[in-house]
Amino acid sequence: MSARQAGLAVASALIAAAAVAGCGSKPAPSASPPPAPAPPPLTTSFASTAGTGWAVVEMGGSAAQENNFWQLFVQPAGATKWRLATPLGVADNGGLVVASPGGGSLVTGFRPSQLLTYTPLAASSDNGSNWSSAGPLNSGLTDAPDALAAGPDGSLIALTSGGAELGQRLGAAWTRLLSTRSLAATQAGQACRVTSLTAAAFTGSGVPVLAASCGRPGDAGIFTDRGGHWLATGPAVPASLARADVDVLRLTAAGPGLVALLRAGSRIVAAWYDGTRWTVSAPLPATTLKSTAIGPGGSVGVILNGRHGATLAGPGAAWHALPALPKWAATLALGSSGQVDAIGVNGGTFWDWRLAPAGWSLAQKIHVDIPYGSSG
Amino acid sequence: MPGMNSGLNSDNPTLVAAFRSALLHQGLYVLLVFAVLAVAWVSAREWLRPARSAPPAAPEPAWRQLLRIGFGVIWIFDGLLQAQPAMAAGLPSQVIEPTAASSPTWVQHVVNWAGTSWSYHPIQAGASAVWIQLGIGVWLIAGARGPWSRLGGLASVAWGLVVWVFGESFGGIFAPGLTWLFGAPGAALFYCAAGALIALPERTWRSPRLGRAVLSVMGLFFIGMAVLQAWPGRGFWQGTLHGQQGTLTGMVSSMASTPQPSVFAGWVSSFGSFTAAHGFAVNLFAVVALAAIGAGLLSAGLPEVGLRAPAPWLIKGTVVAMLVLCLADWVLIEDFGFFGGLGTDPNSMIPLALVVLAGYLALSPAPAPAVEPATATQPETAVKPTTPTAHPATAATAEPATAATEPATPRPGWQAQPTRLARAFGAASTRVVLAAWAVAIVLIGAAPMALAQANRNADPIIAQAIDGNAAPLDFRAPAFTLTDQNGRQVSLASLRGKVVLLTFLDPVCTSDCPEIAQEFKGTDQVLGASARRVELIAIVANPLYHSIAYTRAFDTQERMTGVPNWLYLTGSLAQLERAWKNYAVAAQILPGGGMIAHSDVAYVIDANGHTRTELDFDPGPGTASSESSFSVELTQAAEQAMKSS
Repeated sequence: MSARQAGLAVASALIAAAAVAGCGSKPAPSASPPPAPAPPPLTTSFASTAGTGWAVVEMGGSAAQENNFWQLFVQPAGATKWRLATPLGVADNGGLVVASPGGGSLVTGFRPSQLLTYTPLAASSDNGSNWSSAGPLNSGLTDAPDALAAGPDGSLIALTSGGAELGQRLGAAWTRLLSTRSLAATQAGQACRVTSLTAAAFTGSGVPVLAASCGRPGDAGIFTDRGGHWLATGPAVPASLARADVDVLRLTAAGPGLVALLRAGSRIVAAWYDGTRWTVSAPLPATTLKSTAIGPGGSVGVILNGRHGATLAGPGAAWHALPALPKWAATLALGSSGQVDAIGVNGGTFWDWRLAPAGWSLAQKIHVDIPYGSSG
Repeated sequence: MPGMNSGLNSDNPTLVAAFRSALLHQGLYVLLVFAVLAVAWVSAREWLRPARSAPPAAPEPAWRQLLRIGFGVIWIFDGLLQAQPAMAAGLPSQVIEPTAASSPTWVQHVVNWAGTSWSYHPIQAGASAVWIQLGIGVWLIAGARGPWSRLGGLASVAWGLVVWVFGESFGGIFAPGLTWLFGAPGAALFYCAAGALIALPERTWRSPRLGRAVLSVMGLFFIGMAVLQAWPGRGFWQGTLHGQQGTLTGMVSSMASTPQPSVFAGWVSSFGSFTAAHGFAVNLFAVVALAAIGAGLLSAGLPEVGLRAPAPWLIKGTVVAMLVLCLADWVLIEDFGFFGGLGTDPNSMIPLALVVLAGYLALSPAPAPAVEPATATQPETAVKPTTPTAHPATAATAEPATAATEPATPRPGWQAQPTRLARAFGAASTRVVLAAWAVAIVLIGAAPMALAQANRNADPIIAQAIDGNAAPLDFRAPAFTLTDQNGRQVSLASLRGKVVLLTFLDPVCTSDCPEIAQEFKGTDQVLGASARRVELIAIVANPLYHSIAYTRAFDTQERMTGVPNWLYLTGSLAQLERAWKNYAVAAQILPGGGMIAHSDVAYVIDANGHTRTELDFDPGPGTASSESSFSVELTQAAEQAMKSS
């Protein structure tokens, strides 16, 4: 064999080997940042200070997102039945985010979907019987049930990808309240290593409060505006969760104070703030979370994986596991007298199941005309 | 892959009719060129009486004839497949895009570029693929030897590479699941290999070293494919895996679902069931067969490294086994490759078999050319003995008389003598004339596509395929006075002297309206300098969200604020309802979280205030090509209105 022939043979073998090895090998994994925590589900219910119940659920088909339409239901204070109150005129496939300034008033934000990238707003002052356009917010609301907060004077806080916006007169004019980066640069933000904003609220006296995910384990990032300075408000999570990453899933006004729902590792913790100190619940094991509900007096309800649900009556109470939830249960709805309802939806049907000593009983059924195919 | 998909059904009747029409027109040109060439050639022969060419010095070797005619037939077959009605609209979205989907991002970017080009000009691109492939096929078959023939081989290489890169996503070699059984490394790569062999100079034709090299390379290829097939963790060793189909079973099942005669589907389906039940055995057989064939073919190259040549029966047996395996794979796994209305070629097995068979035939020394003295009229054809080499098969090889089938090479100064040129043309053989015709076929196909590519806007045929043709109108445009996005009052009368393009948009719409706004913006760009004579107007089409804050938010979202002749008008509900009624636009509130249902329409109002055209402006799939196409359609309507004003 000549040197040239030998060289050719070796080269051919190398090429074949390289081709085979290249085809068969997997690409090297690239270094990537840790995934952002899953946002809390938009499916929710809450009770306003006046006792009006609101529920936000996703209905319609599941094959394509543009055939899923979010619906808003209301149970006015003193009423026993729910009714459909979805504001009209905007495709709401991206989800509804609601905030109550109090009484029977509500502001609804339409999350972006498809080619709509900003956020139309609608406002109602009569328990959702009539709506008028408000806003708009010129950017997209983040995917969180408390991405919109309403103050008693009609001020709004909206969370967007860049930070928090402050709206006057139901969103007729917006100014930047705080960017995520600015919050992260504060002393409090640096201490918790803020990564993203997750919820906003006004206290009963109208002070803006923001919640964030912290990069530092064991820190719950809730910050209050004190005269232009953002200070960490707490709460401290139980010692057993000190090494867990903490996300604030919910933050909403409860009377003069606040109620928050935290995810610490694979546990759920509720926390209540009365204006001076926090009360923190025992941890509830929860690998997945299907929906959250905030009731009167700071009561809390969650639907976990499968048909498991639990409620918490308020500060100092223990988690109470519910009987197996009815099929299609989407969210719990908590009444003022300790009443627990399970709101179920499937396709265009809405069910209200009420918890009685003997178990769940059907209290109401509503058919909703879903505009299938109207969103492209 | 954005942009590649026109979003249209592949059997859209408008596109299918336009595709047929384009093929018919170009077909007539092809026939016309043939007639002109034939008449010119016959005339030159009869009237100028050129010297007849000398007989060929030696026959073309069998391996080359096999490749040339075999691949010529395949190219023609591929060209005919490209003429299937669904090709124009369906090839990018249903062939190219799925093929590239599993490849790395950079491959998808490369392929997307070509797919987008195709989807912008589906008729020209579809027709060009037909004629280029038919032309190369005729070229290969007609050009038996000489420069014409070698150029045909190079054309096969060039177009084969285009098909391999853009049509087959590099044959899928960068995608997971690569397997010989399904055509790796891509059928078009064998077209390139065959083209390269055909393009080899004649001095290489008669050496058995060529056959050894071809078989050795193919042997290495088969061994590589065997290793790949045996590689663990790729799902080929299991017929089923955790209740799911294994890789091969899944591939075969998907092929079985291709529309085709039921008998073939039955075969493939049965093989799929067999694979599901005996996945390990099937893969083991494939691995062993590929490795054995690879080893057998590789052994043909042993003399090149100083070892003893294998027994002829071994090579012959390997080639026969390879043919049987290829045939079985072609029928049972590749499912012939060309069914379903969007099949572009018969897949890899036939081309692969032809290349290996050609390599085998090339092992046998071809007859040496007869050495003949040059004729007086063909001085350049003088036979030059080659330098003797150590190899007996090439020792007596002489450079063949390449001009035997070519026009006689003219003397210096021929440019000034058309008669001499015509005489040379008359002296050309039938094959040369046919090859020239084939080149013309390729050019007839390629030229319209090249011209279309020079236009970065899509063909308006896409918009017409979605919404039909524009409707001509002639009535005075109903007046309106509304408020623009800056709070200024605007009336239609105040726009007199300009062509007005009018539409109705919902500022909180999630699908059509943003696309229509972009189509209007695109129209402004296509109009260029003429845009100053045109006003782009939208009137709000939402009875609930119609404040200026919303028209501004929409403009910001769609980046319309930089379009100087764009006006987004709104007003009180009463004003808007009057405008909707006058222009027959519905704006219906839907329950349950639905968007406002409104008409997608555009009116063209000339400079005198007359409505000239109504266009159905439903943007359809809203792809890059359809968006561009609507802009072109609206631009053409605006230009027509400018002329008529």
